[in-house]
Amino acid sequence: MRAIFLSVTFLVAGAALVGCSSTAPEPQDMARTTVQTAPADLQLTCASAAATSAGVDANKVLPVGSQQLDATRYQVELNASGQRYVCIVDNMGAVSSVQKAA
Amino acid sequence: MAGTLRRNARLGWAAALFTAVGLGVALAQVGPTTQIFDPKTHKWINYDRKKARQYYAAHGQVPDAFRRQIVPFRTAEKPGTIIIDGNQHFLYLVLPGLKAVRYGIGVGREGFGWAGIVRVGRTAEWPTWTPPAEMVARDPNAAKFAGGMPGGPDNPLGARALYLYQGDQDTIYRIHGTPEPWTIGLDVSSGCIRMNNDDIVDLHAQVQVGAKVVVLMQGAALYKGV
Repeated sequence: MRAIFLSVTFLVAGAALVGCSSTAPEPQDMARTTVQTAPADLQLTCASAAATSAGVDANKVLPVGSQQLDATRYQVELNASGQRYVCIVDNMGAVSSVQKAA
Repeated sequence: MAGTLRRNARLGWAAALFTAVGLGVALAQVGPTTQIFDPKTHKWINYDRKKARQYYAAHGQVPDAFRRQIVPFRTAEKPGTIIIDGNQHFLYLVLPGLKAVRYGIGVGREGFGWAGIVRVGRTAEWPTWTPPAEMVARDPNAAKFAGGMPGGPDNPLGARALYLYQGDQDTIYRIHGTPEPWTIGLDVSSGCIRMNNDDIVDLHAQVQVGAKVVVLMQGAALYKGV
């Protein structure tokens, strides 16, 4: 009986804590646009990887589009001296693939 | 205590504004839209020119997200490089140690955005504003200053200007200050990047002529040369 009481008490306390917790972003993150893009630094990470893959000057590779694939990964489309590339990068900056677009 | 009062006043103001405006009006807008988070209702609310002006009048500054701050920034770009994220309305000045200064910006409105890789060709303090011929042709207010508007607090270029070049050619685009600081965070310009005057003064003091400038803007026309 005592065990059941304690369990219920912890469950209620836990629920109360969850209810009080905030899902608000940090103040510096309290703005966005309805166009969701990859963070700028991750787009540039892909540009650097594409420059290596395409064998072109990094100053000639520009990210031109991006989207979030899942909770941890982004796809970035790039223009590398007129050629289109697609890059997948995670939110830690690790590039998993760079491919010439079909 | 004062901080708590200020915070409560801020929350109260935000609640009143957002309730008055209503989600229906927000949803009626089309196209890419800036949104800010309402800490009272925990909802993202559209942030247009009217709301931005009201917010600035109430707080004397733009929302936290658009204020100058140091942020983590993982890049191979050299310190001193400028990265402009036009979609999210941020300008990053790359610092050593995988960090950057992030500033809020206003960018080109629909049809006036652009993307590309350029450089800072020259800079000016309290620059003269000379509207380009096409702006003179379409805007009577600009036509008045076809011969040039002297620098000063009412000048559209604000306190400083960084002139963007490709090679040795002036792109006609600039990163500059503004006498309308409430427009930071919005798509309002004719293609220039605008910052509040304190921020452009801070950026100008740290940037070298020749610095690389990468302008990211999804869906915008590419500036020639990329």
